[in-house]
Amino acid sequence: MKLQRIGALGALSMIAFANVAQAEYPERPVNMVIPYGAGGATDISARLIAEPLGTAVGKPLVMANITGAGGATGSVSVQNASPDGYTMLFARVGSHTVSPAMKATLPYTLDDFRFVTVYEINPVACAVNARSDIETMDDLIAKAKSEGVSYSSSGVGTLLHIAAAMVLNEFGIEDPTTSATHIPQKGGGGAATAVLNGTADMVCTNSSTLASFVKNGQLRPLLVTTEEPIPGFDAPTAVELGKPALTQLVGWTGIAGPDDLPDEVVEKWGGWMETATSDAEFRDALTANGSIIELMSPAEAQEFIQTQYETFRGLVDKLGMRVEG
Amino acid sequence: MSMLDSLAAGLALVGNLEAFLALAGGIAIGVIGGAIPGMSATMAVALTLPFTFAMQPITGILLLLGVYKGGIFGGSIPAILIKTPGTPASSATVLDGYPMAERGEAGRALGMSLWASCTADLVSNLALILVAGWLASFALSFGPPEFFTLILFSLTIIAGVSGDSLLRGALSAMLGLLLATVGLDLVYGTNRFTFGDPSLMGGLNFIAVLIGLFAIPEVLAMVWHPTGHLGKARKLGHNRVTLADYRRSFVSILRGSFIGVFLGSIPGIGAAPSAFLAYSEARRKSPNRANFGKGEIEGVAAAEAGNNGVAGATLIPLLALGVPGDVITAIIIGAFMVHGLQPGPMMFIMNVDIIYGLFLGLLISSVFLLIIGSVAIRGFRYVADVPRRLLVPVVLILCIYGVYAVNNNVFDVGVMFAMGWVGFLMMRCHVPAAPFLIAFILGPLLEDNFRQAMLMSGSDPSILVRGPITWFFWALTVITVVAILRSGLKSRRDAAPSGTPDPSPRS
Repeated sequence: MKLQRIGALGALSMIAFANVAQAEYPERPVNMVIPYGAGGATDISARLIAEPLGTAVGKPLVMANITGAGGATGSVSVQNASPDGYTMLFARVGSHTVSPAMKATLPYTLDDFRFVTVYEINPVACAVNARSDIETMDDLIAKAKSEGVSYSSSGVGTLLHIAAAMVLNEFGIEDPTTSATHIPQKGGGGAATAVLNGTADMVCTNSSTLASFVKNGQLRPLLVTTEEPIPGFDAPTAVELGKPALTQLVGWTGIAGPDDLPDEVVEKWGGWMETATSDAEFRDALTANGSIIELMSPAEAQEFIQTQYETFRGLVDKLGMRVEG
Repeated sequence: MSMLDSLAAGLALVGNLEAFLALAGGIAIGVIGGAIPGMSATMAVALTLPFTFAMQPITGILLLLGVYKGGIFGGSIPAILIKTPGTPASSATVLDGYPMAERGEAGRALGMSLWASCTADLVSNLALILVAGWLASFALSFGPPEFFTLILFSLTIIAGVSGDSLLRGALSAMLGLLLATVGLDLVYGTNRFTFGDPSLMGGLNFIAVLIGLFAIPEVLAMVWHPTGHLGKARKLGHNRVTLADYRRSFVSILRGSFIGVFLGSIPGIGAAPSAFLAYSEARRKSPNRANFGKGEIEGVAAAEAGNNGVAGATLIPLLALGVPGDVITAIIIGAFMVHGLQPGPMMFIMNVDIIYGLFLGLLISSVFLLIIGSVAIRGFRYVADVPRRLLVPVVLILCIYGVYAVNNNVFDVGVMFAMGWVGFLMMRCHVPAAPFLIAFILGPLLEDNFRQAMLMSGSDPSILVRGPITWFFWALTVITVVAILRSGLKSRRDAAPSGTPDPSPRS
């Protein structure tokens, strides 16, 4: 409630600059659910866009973190909300493509949501401890085939979990669920720490999470999944390594509502997002984080997410990674 | 750049009104936020974070650190006054702080809490500045097996906070362990005890359990027996802590501070276990052992030193390794990243002015905490004078509001009330609540680290004795358990001739 009030206050001040209030949507403040904790990548991204977005919307955006169960708790709260466009969700790769692909018991599916945009893409990088003797992907695969490797993640059904499995699989490890050990941690920070302190051999996660460790010479990047190299990461791209399929493996942040969101609401969001993402301050802040701003229209976002979901779903079925019960 | 140059550069960064205001404002926000039940220090920091995006990096970070430190101290205010820890870290403060307030010594307890907090804060900051590098490399040698043994040892705290009956304490702890298993399984991702309800998938909310266990039973007891409190000398919180009190508790404060620094520098533990460990160590070593849990000022001092000792030390892994030590520093790391700063060894080379600026700011923060804290105490201690029939309904409203605000979730409010009834029944059966809480915090850590260790070794248990750190904690655990058993047997022998042991009066 406190959160909402402060969000409301911040946004109220923005109304002053907005156009004359219209009788149509939105007539009142819009609740924006962030399904992950404060200070995390989703939270920061959401709060950075909230400022220019609030101006574009013309009504306060009430930001609320509803956390738990890897983003599921917050997602469920929007799934069950009325589809009037006054309750929207900051959806993320973990909560909306990886988890639905992996978890049979998830209380929602991708079809329960209608996406209005994807605005941020996070490249994924794989890294090992800088003190290890693994210098390249080939070294890693050789080790996986001889003595086996372990990888850390921020939990079952997260991007980190499927990323490592997908990378290993692409590089010829037929059955990464048995020949590589998954050591889940609680939280994304813990996953990188686990590689630092020797608990796990490898981690694949957002390049922004790894950037400081790479820059500090604590972790050694082996691969990035973008087509272009990432500044600061002295590692080959997936395309250079001849694995273009891995370019599917990126993180993203988008905005979604319940599945029967009316078309006019979706259209409005498309327009607002165009205005919001052209804000220079927002662009600077988000790219400083290592993210790529890539605005997708509602239709593009829906297609992008569906494709990624199907890729992950296919992989999960092939490797038998689906979590039942 | 020499050290002096860096120091001067740092001074230039913090030597302005803006930085000082940010620090003082942050501490004030933190103390107030921490003092509101349910609005923990974590939440106060999270709420302040978006405001720092537009500030100078050092100003923003100092603001957040101020909120953090203020919040950890502020949590002790409701813990002492209304038996509701304002922040999980101050749970241990309830044990002796609330009985003191009941006795009419709220002012004294609050004063001690502030002095202990500031002392521990200073020790913690000095540790950060002087031995960060050494502690950080030590923290990196903590993998799951080391964690497992450390937490196993920490579970012996339960004996220290069980009150008169170890059996009742163990029962309480077992209940805590059981409830902590609700949620998603870490390794398999499957549901555990969720009964198909999505609201349970995230597990029971910690703040809801905490408030339900401590505050709601008091409310229920009031409803049960509206006049039960009459005749108890609860009023007048005007008494103060004396220098003699401080001197008497000094060793416990120092020990608590070091425990805080040690646990704070290891990522992933946090302030609440540290406060409990400091408390139970103080109890073990104190000549007033028997008075612990009944309103012993040394207990308040130790618990508050234990939790504030963590505050500076959690910056050790953050600055030296780029690894957040707890939830709060995970939020603060966001502020670094928004400003394009990357905490870690390179920051000591690239942004050494900011590092030294932070160090200087932190040293000043201990003084600010003392000043702002005393003002806050002056304001808040009158709560102790509010008639109970007025105070209790207000507490109830604050609790509901606070628990709802944690996650904007009505389900959590339900959890709070359910736990309130559990806590009430426990209170009536003289089952202490503290062991429940410790088990609830440490249980998942113990389980996760054990399973991670087993995954690492391919289920070979020998990994649990893989190095000197694990041996050390195994030895410590064995020694403590033997000591507990011996004192238990001794008290039984002592009690046997005099007939039945006296009924436990703790409630």
